[in-house]
Amino acid sequence: MLLAGGVSAQNPIISGQFTADPTARVFNGKVYLYPSHDIPAPQGQRKDWFCMEDYHVFSSENLTEWTDHGVILNQKDVPWGNPNGYSMWAPDCVYRNGKYYFYFPDGVKEGMGFGIGVAIADSPEGPFKPVESNIKGISGIDPCVLLASDGNAYIFWGPGRCAKLKDNMTEIEDDTPSETVKFGDREFQMSGVNCLKDSPSRQAEGPFAFEYNGNYYLTYPYVRENTEVLGYAMSKNPMGPYQYKGLIMKEHASGCWTNHHSIINYKGQWYLFYHHNDYSPQDDKRRSVRIEKLFFNPDGTIQEVKPTLRGVGIVDALSKLQVDRYSSASNDVKINFLDTTDRFLGWEVTLDKKGSYVTFSDVDFSNIKDGYFTAAVKANKNTKFTIREKNSSGKIIAGADVICITEGQFKRDYSGQYLTVTAPLKYTPKGITDICIVCEGEAVTVDYVQFKNKEKYFSEPKAAESKPDKDGFLKRWLLLEPITNGINTNVIFVDSYLEKTFNEANYLKLFDKVPVNNQKVKYGNQNLIWHKIDSENYNVKLFRFAESYNKPVYGVLFSAVTEIYCDKEIADVRLLAGSNSASAWYLNGEEILLMSGDRRMVKDDCASKVVTLKKGVNVLRGAIINGPGMSDFCVRFVDKKGNAITDFTIK
Amino acid sequence: MKKFLFSIITVSLSGVLSAQTGAPYIHDPSTIAECEGKYYTFGTGGGGLISQDGYVWKGGAERPGGGAAPDVIKIKDRYLVLYSSTGGGLGGGHYGKIMTMWNKTLDPKSPDFKFTTAQEVAASDGFEDCDAIDPGVLLDPTTGRLWVSYGTYFGNIRLIELDPETGKRKAGNQALDIAIDCEATDLIYRDGYYYLLGTHGTCCDGVNSTYNIVVGRSKSVTGPYLDNLGRDMKQGGGKMVVAAENRAVGAGHFGRFIVDEGVELMSFHWEADFDMSGHSVLAIKPLIWVNNWPKVGTPIKSGVYEIESERRGYALELAVDFQRLEQERQFFWRINPDEPIKSLEAQKLSDVEKKWSKGTIAVRAGDYMNRPHQRWKIEPLTSQSGYLGSPYFKITIDGTDRALTASEGFSITAEEKFSGSDYQLWRIEQLTDGTYRIMPKKVPGVDGINKKYVIYSISDSNPILGEYDFKSDNSKWNFKQ
Repeated sequence: MLLAGGVSAQNPIISGQFTADPTARVFNGKVYLYPSHDIPAPQGQRKDWFCMEDYHVFSSENLTEWTDHGVILNQKDVPWGNPNGYSMWAPDCVYRNGKYYFYFPDGVKEGMGFGIGVAIADSPEGPFKPVESNIKGISGIDPCVLLASDGNAYIFWGPGRCAKLKDNMTEIEDDTPSETVKFGDREFQMSGVNCLKDSPSRQAEGPFAFEYNGNYYLTYPYVRENTEVLGYAMSKNPMGPYQYKGLIMKEHASGCWTNHHSIINYKGQWYLFYHHNDYSPQDDKRRSVRIEKLFFNPDGTIQEVKPTLRGVGIVDALSKLQVDRYSSASNDVKINFLDTTDRFLGWEVTLDKKGSYVTFSDVDFSNIKDGYFTAAVKANKNTKFTIREKNSSGKIIAGADVICITEGQFKRDYSGQYLTVTAPLKYTPKGITDICIVCEGEAVTVDYVQFKNKEKYFSEPKAAESKPDKDGFLKRWLLLEPITNGINTNVIFVDSYLEKTFNEANYLKLFDKVPVNNQKVKYGNQNLIWHKIDSENYNVKLFRFAESYNKPVYGVLFSAVTEIYCDKEIADVRLLAGSNSASAWYLNGEEILLMSGDRRMVKDDCASKVVTLKKGVNVLRGAIINGPGMSDFCVRFVDKKGNAITDFTIK
Repeated sequence: MKKFLFSIITVSLSGVLSAQTGAPYIHDPSTIAECEGKYYTFGTGGGGLISQDGYVWKGGAERPGGGAAPDVIKIKDRYLVLYSSTGGGLGGGHYGKIMTMWNKTLDPKSPDFKFTTAQEVAASDGFEDCDAIDPGVLLDPTTGRLWVSYGTYFGNIRLIELDPETGKRKAGNQALDIAIDCEATDLIYRDGYYYLLGTHGTCCDGVNSTYNIVVGRSKSVTGPYLDNLGRDMKQGGGKMVVAAENRAVGAGHFGRFIVDEGVELMSFHWEADFDMSGHSVLAIKPLIWVNNWPKVGTPIKSGVYEIESERRGYALELAVDFQRLEQERQFFWRINPDEPIKSLEAQKLSDVEKKWSKGTIAVRAGDYMNRPHQRWKIEPLTSQSGYLGSPYFKITIDGTDRALTASEGFSITAEEKFSGSDYQLWRIEQLTDGTYRIMPKKVPGVDGINKKYVIYSISDSNPILGEYDFKSDNSKWNFKQ
C-alpha cells in the first residue's frame, strides 16, 4: 500500500500518476475513489488522445490522505475487450447483495465501438473478476449505476441513456425499450431511454445519477460553448423525465476540454469530485482529480461550485502545507511548477511584494503544543514573511527573516535557491483555523510550510523531591539564564582562563546562597532569572534552556545549582562529569573539579577529587562556559568502585 | 635488468611521511574510490583529488553541489556520491540537506562523466537536534542494504537507509539517533560488527586543531554503538582510532579502503601538516585491527631494521659466512664482581664486508645476531610514483649500496648496486594484524606491476617470491629496531 504522493490535502489530490473521471463511493465508512488512469501514450498510440490501460482504486478516511491500492483491472484481463485498446474510460463501482460490482467501458475485441463490462469482487479493493462478456444491449461509455430507493438498480451511460438492471447486476431487463437514434445521416438502434431529451445535451457524456431528499439528480458534462461544463437535471423518477436545472461547474478557465465528476455525501458533507489537467498544462488528455465541497439550496437545486486549488479536508498543522494550493490569495500572487521536468513535484507560490498573501483554510493546530514552524522559501533579496491567523491582517502566529545574502566572514549568496527557515511560534491557534502567509518585505517564493513541536527537554518540577536516575545522574537543577560574554571560540578555555573568569567580579557570589525559582539577579548590566527545572534527559541541555527563554545560546556562561539531601554521611565519593564546553564544579563552597579545554559532552569525562556528601543538605554548583557549541552537562556521584550513588534526594 | 641505471631517485630526508605527496590539499576527504585504475577523493566545498598511483595526488576531481564532507561508494557499475548542500552552521543555520547523485565514472575527462540530478534523502529543519550534513555511507555486505550516517556537533548523529538501486531514501524509513557530539561520521562493517567512526575535538584551527577520530561498535547496524568501556556513543562514548602525531595534527573524516585480504587503509585529513606549511592535507595510513577494534597502523619509516619472519622469527640476511666476534673467553663461575663493567662493541661492517663476495649475493633468513649482513636500511623514494598511500622503498644493507632485488626464478638477492630498477623498488604494507608484507614493484618474468608476489617463507630459512596469502604467516614480516 502506497500513499498516493504523500499527504494531498490540496488539489489535485493525487500526485505521482494521472487520475481522471473520478467516481467516488462510500463503502464501510471510507471513501473509495475509482478514477480512469491517464498515461502518456506508448509507442504506436496517438500522442494527442486519451490513453488508459488499467484502473487503480484509492481510499481515504479524511479526504486528505489517500492510499493507492494498486491496479484492480488491466485491459489484458478483459475477456471481451481489445487487449491493446487503451480505452479503459470512466468506471463506477457499487455494492449490492454482498458483492462489489465494478462497471467499466472498453473497446470491444471484435468490430468497432465501446462495450460496458462488469467485474465482481468481495472487497472494494478487489480482486475484481471480469464477467465473460459485456452487457448485452449497451453500446457506449461512462457507466454509472444508481441504486434507487424503489429497490431497483439503474444503469446510466453515454449521453444520458438509462436502463434497468436485472438482479444479477450484469444484464439489463429484457423489456428495456429501444429506439432509433440519428447521428448526422447515420441511424443507430439504441436501448434504454434518453433521460436528457429535454435538456441541453450537446456532446453529453459521463452521466452521474444520485438520489437525495426524494429527488433524482442526473448530473453530466456537456459542451455549452467550446468545452465541457457540468450541468444537471432533476426528476421524481429514476428514468425521468428529467428537467434541466443549470450548472454545477463552469468551463475550466485553463481550456481543459473535459470535465467529469461524481457527487457523494461523506460524514454529512456533500462533495464534488471532478478533474482538471493540473499536472499536464500543455496536454489536457492527462488529468488529475480534484475535490470541492458542494451545497444544495433549500429547494433542492445545487449551488454552483467554484474550483479551488485548496480543495477539501482538514489538514493537520504537523503535515507539509502546500500553500501554493491556496484557498484565496491577493491578486498578484503567481504559482509555478517547482520542476517542469517532473510536474508531480508540485508548485511554488511567489508573493510579489509587501502585503501579498495566500490563505490556506482548515489547518488543525490541536496537535501543536510548544511549536515552531519550518518553511522552504527562496528570494532574490533578503526579506521576511509572517504566518498569520485567518487573514493578512490577522494575529501573527510566527514570522521569519529570509537571509539569502550575507556579508562578512561567512559571505554567501543563496539568492534564488531554496532555503529552510524556522522560527518558534509566537502564538498557537486553538483547534481548526485558516492561516495566511504574508510577504513583509521583498518578493518571496514559498514551496511549503510545516508546523512542528519542539522536543521536550525540561519540565517544571512537580514532585517535592527528585531522585538521581538509575545511573546516578542529577536531573533537578536551578539554572540561571546565561550570562552573555561574547566569546566566539572554545580554544581559549585553558585552566588559568577559567579560574580567572569564574572568579571574576564575584561571579560565584551569584549563587553563594541557593536561589529560589524565578529569583531575579543582576550581573554587570545583565538582568537574569533563575529557573527550576527537571531535565528529561540524563544530560541537561543548556542550549535548549537558553533558547526557550529567547536568550543567547553561544558565547555564554551558564550557572547551575542543586541541593542534595543525604540521610547519612556518604564518604569517599567522586563527582563524575561531562560538559560542553568547559566547566567548574563546586561542592559546599569548595571547587572540586575543573574541566578545561574545548570539551564535548562525554559521560564520565572527568572525575573530581574524593569528597564527602555530609548528612543533611549539600550544595552542588556548576559553571559551564561555551563559545560556539551546544552547551550541556551531565554529573553524577560514584563510590570508590565507580558504582553510581543514588541514595539521596534532590529538592 | 639494469635498464634504469640513470634514473634519478631521491630519498626523503626526514623520513617522516605524514601526508601524501603532490598537492594533496583537502578537508573532509571522502572514502577513496577507484575508477578505471585511478583513485579519487572528494572534499568539502566541491572538487577533489585524483591520483594515478595512489601516492601522488593532484586536484581535478569534479563534484557539483558544493557543501560539506561528501562520501562516495561504488554500487555495481555506478558511483553514488553523497554530499550536504547547506547547513553546517557557517554563517547561517543548521538546516542541512543530504543529497545523492549517480555517475557512471568519476573521471571528468570521460565521455560518460555526467552526474544525475541530485536528490534529497534527509534534511534537518535548523531547529531540531541535528544538522543534516557530513554523510558517511555503508553498503552492508551481509544484507546488501545501504545505510548513511550524518550529523554534526549540533545534536545527534542519525542513521537512515537508502535504496541501493536508486540512491533514494527507502520508503517509510525513519531516521534513528545513534550518537551525539560527533562530526564527519562513517560506518563500516567487519566480522559481525558494525563500526561508527566519528570525529571529536576542535576543527579548523590549523596547528592547534585537536580533531581526532573515535569509534564505537555494535552487532546491529542500528546500534547501540558502544565504546571499549561499553559507553554508548549517544553518551559521548568513543575509543580513539587516530589522534595527532608529532608533525601532523587534527585527524578528521575517516574512510576505509580494503586493498587486499588483510591489507586495509584508512584515509582522513590532517588539519595541519607541519611539514606542508600547516595546510590541511590528505592522509592515508594502514588500518589495523586489535581485538576487533580499528586502529591506525604504523607505516614503515626510514631507518635501519632487522626484517624478521613471522613464520620462524628468523632475520633476513645476506647469504655470507657468519664471522665470529672475537671475545676473551668468559667463565661464569670465575666472574669477579669487583672488575669494572665494559661495553662490548657490535660487529662493524668494515670488519666483515671485505670477505663478502663481489656481485650479487643470495638472500636467506637466519638467527638474528645484529650482524651487518642482517641490518637493512629502508628509505622511501619520495620523488617517484608509489602505490596507494605510500612511495616505494629502497632496501639496502646498511652502509652499502647493496640492494634487495627481485631476481629470476622468483628468488630474492642482494645486488651490489642500487640501480633504481623496478625490481629494486619495494612496496611495504602493514597488514591488519600489525605484521607487514613486502613486495617488489616488478618480478622478473611477470608482466606489469606486481600485485601478487611477496617475500614468502617457503621454508624457515629460504624466503622466495611467493603468492601473498594473508592466512599464512609465510607472507608476513616484522620490522624491528
